Amino acid sequence: MVDRRRFSHTALTLGLAWIALLLLMLASLGSSYLNLGPWNAVSGLVIATLKAAIVAWLFMRLRESGPLIRLVAIAGLGLWSIQIGLSSVDYATRAVTPAAIQSPQQLPPLQAASRPH
Amino acid sequence: MSSAALTEPKDEPDIGKLGMWVFLASEVLFFGGLFLAYLYGRTHWPQGWSTASRHTDVVLGTVNTALLLTSSAVVALAVACEEDATQRRWTARLLALTAALGTAFLVVKGFEWHAEWDEHLVPGPSFALDVPGAQEFFVLYFVMTGLHGVHMIAGIAVLAVLARGRSRRREWAGARQIEVAALYWHFVDIVWIFLYPLLYLVQRHG
Repeated sequence: MVDRRRFSHTALTLGLAWIALLLLMLASLGSSYLNLGPWNAVSGLVIATLKAAIVAWLFMRLRESGPLIRLVAIAGLGLWSIQIGLSSVDYATRAVTPAAIQSPQQLPPLQAASRPH
Repeated sequence: MSSAALTEPKDEPDIGKLGMWVFLASEVLFFGGLFLAYLYGRTHWPQGWSTASRHTDVVLGTVNTALLLTSSAVVALAVACEEDATQRRWTARLLALTAALGTAFLVVKGFEWHAEWDEHLVPGPSFALDVPGAQEFFVLYFVMTGLHGVHMIAGIAVLAVLARGRSRRREWAGARQIEVAALYWHFVDIVWIFLYPLLYLVQRHG
């Protein structure tokens, strides 16, 4: 009886998570049709992160996992953040082929510094 | 500390599950490089990125997202059924349904790739869009969706084999194996969760 109630509870949680995921997907789709400027990208990524968190927390059971498994899960993300962070330091501060996000004032000193002496 | 505590740790982690999580952490870095390349492209050719993204099929992309999210919920339910003696009869069927949803995803993706080939969106000399960066977007689009597709094929194969093994009550298709396979499937789902806004929804307005 206790088992049965536990199963119903789990199934209900999974069902609600599934509905939440589909609603978030529609929210993400809808937001891309609004002109939010740079916030379009932010909303897309924030919603995707929420969806991924639901999958990891409830479907992949990080909620019930011990510290070791949680640590491994975080380690993957941590290493990736280092990869993105360190690489961006390079790509976002180049004088040659500057990124569109770099401000024009940033470029002359960089170009002067990279000019051969 | 007594010797019993050393030989019989109370909370011994499930090695299979831990191994899969370590593998998934390495997969984060595997896909991570491509996401980094994407970030570079999007910040350097924002115009090319938004133009190219508008040429992806948002309807099929959304259908596929729904298919994959549903398949993830179904395989999570399969794991829950396997752990409850009164619900075990559903496990094999739910695993088969997950594999079927995954196959449907790949069929839809196949139609999409075919349409993109016809519209000259495959990078090369006859590429259709004349905007700087658009070609780079589609290089990443095909590499990322292709690599994701390869992961899908592996996942579908594992789930189909487990479904068959479970229905025949094979020992190698037990709760632990099913849970580990489900973890892999959820990861493939998470990769797509990020690919969906990054590839299909860059800029749909205007």
